[in-house]
Amino acid sequence: MAQIFPAYANTVARAVILGAGALVAGGLGLLLVLPATSHVTRQDIIVEQPVQFSHEHHAGGLGIDCRYCHTSVEQSRFAGIPPTHTCMTCHSQIWTNAEMLAPVRRSLAEGVPLRWQRVHVLPDYVFFDHSVHVTNGVGCSTCHGAVNRMPQVRQVAPLTMGWCLDCHRDPAPNLRAPSEIYNMDWTPSSDQRERGGRLLEHYGIRSEHLTDCSRCHR
Amino acid sequence: MTDAPPLSRRQAALALIASAASLASCDKPEEEIIPYVEQPERVVPGVPLRFATSLPLNGYARGVLATVFEGRPVKLEGNPAHPASLGATDVFLEAELLSLYDPDRSRAVREGARIASWDAFLGALRPQIRHAESKGGHGLSLLTGHITSPTMLRLIAELRARLPGLAWHAHEAAGTGNSLAGAALAFGRPLAAVQRLDRAAVVLAIDADPLGPGPDQIRHGREFASRRSARRAGKPFSRLYVVEPAMTITGAKADHRLPLAPAELRDFAAALAIRLGGELSAPPLAPRAQAFLDAVLDDLRAHPGEAMVLAGEWQPPEVHALVHWINQRLGAPVDLIEPVGPDLAEAPAPLGALVEALREDRVDTLLILGANPAYDGPGDLRVAEALRASRAFTVHLGPWRDETAALCRWHLPETHPLEDWADLRATDGTASVCQPLIRPLYATRSAAWLLGVVLGRQDEGSHAAVRATWAARQGGNFEAWWRRVLHEGVVPESAAPPVAAPPARLPALPERPSVGGLTLVLRPDATVWDGRYANNAWLQECPKPLTRNVWGNAAQIAPVEAAARHITDGEMVRLELGDRSVEVPVMVRAGTAPGVLSLTLGHGRARAGAIGDGVGTDAYALRRAAMPWAMPGLVLGGLGRPGGLLREQPDQRLDGEARELFQTLSLSDFTARIPAAPPPPARPPSLNPDAVSDTHAWAMVIDTTLCIGCNACVIACQSENNVPVVGPEQVAGGRDMHWLRIDTYDVGPAEDPRPGFQPVPCMHCEHAPCEPVCPVAASVHDAEGLNVQVYNRCIGTRFCQANCPYKVRRFNWRGYADGQEYANQGAPVIAAQRNPEVTVRARGVMEKCTYCTQRISAARRASEREGREIADGEVVTACQAACPSRAIIFGDLTKPESGVAQLRQEPQHYALLGHLGTRPRTTYLAEVINPNPALEDGAT
Repeated sequence: MAQIFPAYANTVARAVILGAGALVAGGLGLLLVLPATSHVTRQDIIVEQPVQFSHEHHAGGLGIDCRYCHTSVEQSRFAGIPPTHTCMTCHSQIWTNAEMLAPVRRSLAEGVPLRWQRVHVLPDYVFFDHSVHVTNGVGCSTCHGAVNRMPQVRQVAPLTMGWCLDCHRDPAPNLRAPSEIYNMDWTPSSDQRERGGRLLEHYGIRSEHLTDCSRCHR
Repeated sequence: MTDAPPLSRRQAALALIASAASLASCDKPEEEIIPYVEQPERVVPGVPLRFATSLPLNGYARGVLATVFEGRPVKLEGNPAHPASLGATDVFLEAELLSLYDPDRSRAVREGARIASWDAFLGALRPQIRHAESKGGHGLSLLTGHITSPTMLRLIAELRARLPGLAWHAHEAAGTGNSLAGAALAFGRPLAAVQRLDRAAVVLAIDADPLGPGPDQIRHGREFASRRSARRAGKPFSRLYVVEPAMTITGAKADHRLPLAPAELRDFAAALAIRLGGELSAPPLAPRAQAFLDAVLDDLRAHPGEAMVLAGEWQPPEVHALVHWINQRLGAPVDLIEPVGPDLAEAPAPLGALVEALREDRVDTLLILGANPAYDGPGDLRVAEALRASRAFTVHLGPWRDETAALCRWHLPETHPLEDWADLRATDGTASVCQPLIRPLYATRSAAWLLGVVLGRQDEGSHAAVRATWAARQGGNFEAWWRRVLHEGVVPESAAPPVAAPPARLPALPERPSVGGLTLVLRPDATVWDGRYANNAWLQECPKPLTRNVWGNAAQIAPVEAAARHITDGEMVRLELGDRSVEVPVMVRAGTAPGVLSLTLGHGRARAGAIGDGVGTDAYALRRAAMPWAMPGLVLGGLGRPGGLLREQPDQRLDGEARELFQTLSLSDFTARIPAAPPPPARPPSLNPDAVSDTHAWAMVIDTTLCIGCNACVIACQSENNVPVVGPEQVAGGRDMHWLRIDTYDVGPAEDPRPGFQPVPCMHCEHAPCEPVCPVAASVHDAEGLNVQVYNRCIGTRFCQANCPYKVRRFNWRGYADGQEYANQGAPVIAAQRNPEVTVRARGVMEKCTYCTQRISAARRASEREGREIADGEVVTACQAACPSRAIIFGDLTKPESGVAQLRQEPQHYALLGHLGTRPRTTYLAEVINPNPALEDGAT
């Protein structure tokens, strides 16, 4: 009986088996890696906004406090996006004819709100609360980065559940004194571990319960 | 074949690949943040505001505190300062929210079927008003419901002063005509009776349902509960006797109940009066009724000043008069007040007079404000026919384009009570000012505006009209007074003062009806009332108390009557009364008096909307204006086919071991148990580690003695937790989504049922059987003892549901709230009702009661923000807040002084299926009843 398979069939078979294995492993690897890439987390992506508002200029250069615009950060889940009126407190006096501010003036004149593109998007089943974080020692820049040096706001942290849990399991390295919450340039000092421990006590944080599902999901 | 182009297999495959590819390439959807241009004062995004207002039922106010997120009401709760809501709610109040966002609400002015404009309507109305003015108002008719609003009454009085010939008619399908007429018989003028159940030690209800649905349900429930709390500390415990034709909530809560047909009820009331010295003649009672009467009478006499007799609205005026006479003899704690509504001198005419005028062509212009007589008028008046044939200029103002709107020349969309200014009075006379909680969703106007137009004041809105009413009554600093009234939700000290009534006269008894056959007994419905809530999906899917019937109504008859006619439970039957007949499914219910068939109103609507159209049977067709509640001469015939009756988890008889599920004990047994220590909780050996709590330990205790099965908690839960409806087809398949159900058990002898209500939310077991079986750990415990369901982990194996002994888990078989909603429940406007603090669950996900974890979280976050502990009573679950009788108590077990911890020490405390070792956090207090020893031996 003639041979059905030529001699190189073995090689082909090996290559196919190995290739298939590699494909499966690669696919699984991709599935593991992909969620951490910025393609999924949208980290460091700059989003086009209706007005090219610069935090670097306003928060960094002029030194305007975060809470001047994000008024509800200490009371509500949402930090709050300022109404057009807040922009116009200054811009009715300065840069009144700037081309860049035309949409803001139009919003005020027509009574139609500006439509900002969301940069930090959390899934709908996550109930994040700004107020409990800023009143319990987590500063703005811990999650949002040094916004005062960003001409365009981008998402610095991955905002994945694993990233949230890193801090919920062990908040001490990220805790600040109440006076430092809105300091964009805060950096942990060398004895942060020790200070963090004291701050845990100061704020009355029971970190052993911070990873309960019901803390963030309901 | 359909007209669609046939899709070849190749094309179908390509389409599949293309859609898969497009899905895979999709990034997260872009989201926008849209701030205000000018932020309204006090509005903080994400922080709800609460406002006080009132909502009407039959024109009577129940006070509301509404939770409003960014100008969008998402939850209604009772106003503790209001005497008719006392901080609690009823089903109608809770569900009014869904009516506000009903996609079927009328949005446009219509002339006939065509859409028209407000200007076009005003142009057409003006000549009509000029014509009426030239005739001194003759030919102008006004039809309303029952009105208590001081502003509306002022406007109507102004209208009458200007147009003396104006004919005002009022129609309320479930109104208070009989009781007022009865008081007029007894005292010479109509007076309203305010029964004080909290001051009564012995109560006899003659076909009365004070605990049942109605404008006074919440107050009655609270007052009843205040005399029925069995506690170690020892509180007075009242006794309740009920005689009635068909089982009501009050009958279910009675210590002794006797089913009697309407004619026997008349004799019973008469016999009671005779025994108290009344000079009447009545036929002798049946032996059982006689024994019952003897026992009741002794008990009533033994409690002077604390004994009370109640007559139901559906009893004829003569019986009401008789009961007034009896109550005077007993010194009963009943306050008599001037009727809340129009003064006697200006009382409106009944609907029948209007129909007559329409037939005789005496009406040129008819304004119908909110009423729907074409549907809820008695069948023998033939209102729809008269409206259709009339040549009058007919105008209908209402929130829906209903049966009456369709027969009128013009239909005007009315604002919802939550969208406009108004004022109302409660059943005890307390006035309140209602404020809008949301801008009108559509271009709608109010009844006050329309009356203003007829008065020639076109620009007067409701706000100006209501302020004008109160500014005229209130001197001094009106602005300060106004702001306080809006804040509190009630006008201080506005309750009607009790009047000193003259001695009651004994009435002549009505003729005893002698027609053979069954007596048809009509009642308002427990979930759709008189039909006005028929398009409310929450209420249609709310299981009616006792029968657990949903999406429709059913006739109830006694087993003996069914057997005599060879009718089986659930069969479709035909009811014939005179020349009219309807078909309806039948329920054979023990506890119904022989010779009686009871049926509820409010179903079978033709033009309610996408939810209510054609659901159930219209009982108004059989109704007669002369005797609206009980009609003898009914002929009943089985049709031999199934009636399509839908019941969610119907009531069960409990025998033998099953009695453990719903425990009952008599007051004497309870008292005997008091000295002993409470029974230790069942702790069978377990492999699970013991729950160790170093933080809060949330728990709930439900007192079944106090539960009146009213369903307020069920709808409150639905409203708070974004629980969707599933629709009748899904219910027929055994599916429903209610997180909280009220299990109804029958614990009496078969022929004489004694129903018991047991609300069942999640038990939050410390050793939860649902948790170890979840392959993805979506069902887990948190440190505070909550058994939490993590929706984003759940993969829908339903193992947890299978392993839950309490069957409290609900599975989203379809996208009930997320893309596959029932009927119009997916309309965008419905989304505005959703509570933003709670996830809207997707298809394929398990869900269940969370103990309102969002409310716990809100309290925890507030305490963390403010650096303090959560106070006792700070967390109130939605069901607890809603409960009229305060049967549900929630709190922290670790605090010994908390309500739950104390109730767990009561002698009648038990855990449902405690022997399974689940260690539930939700536990119960057994039902305590207070039987009369004289009636103990099998009598009743």
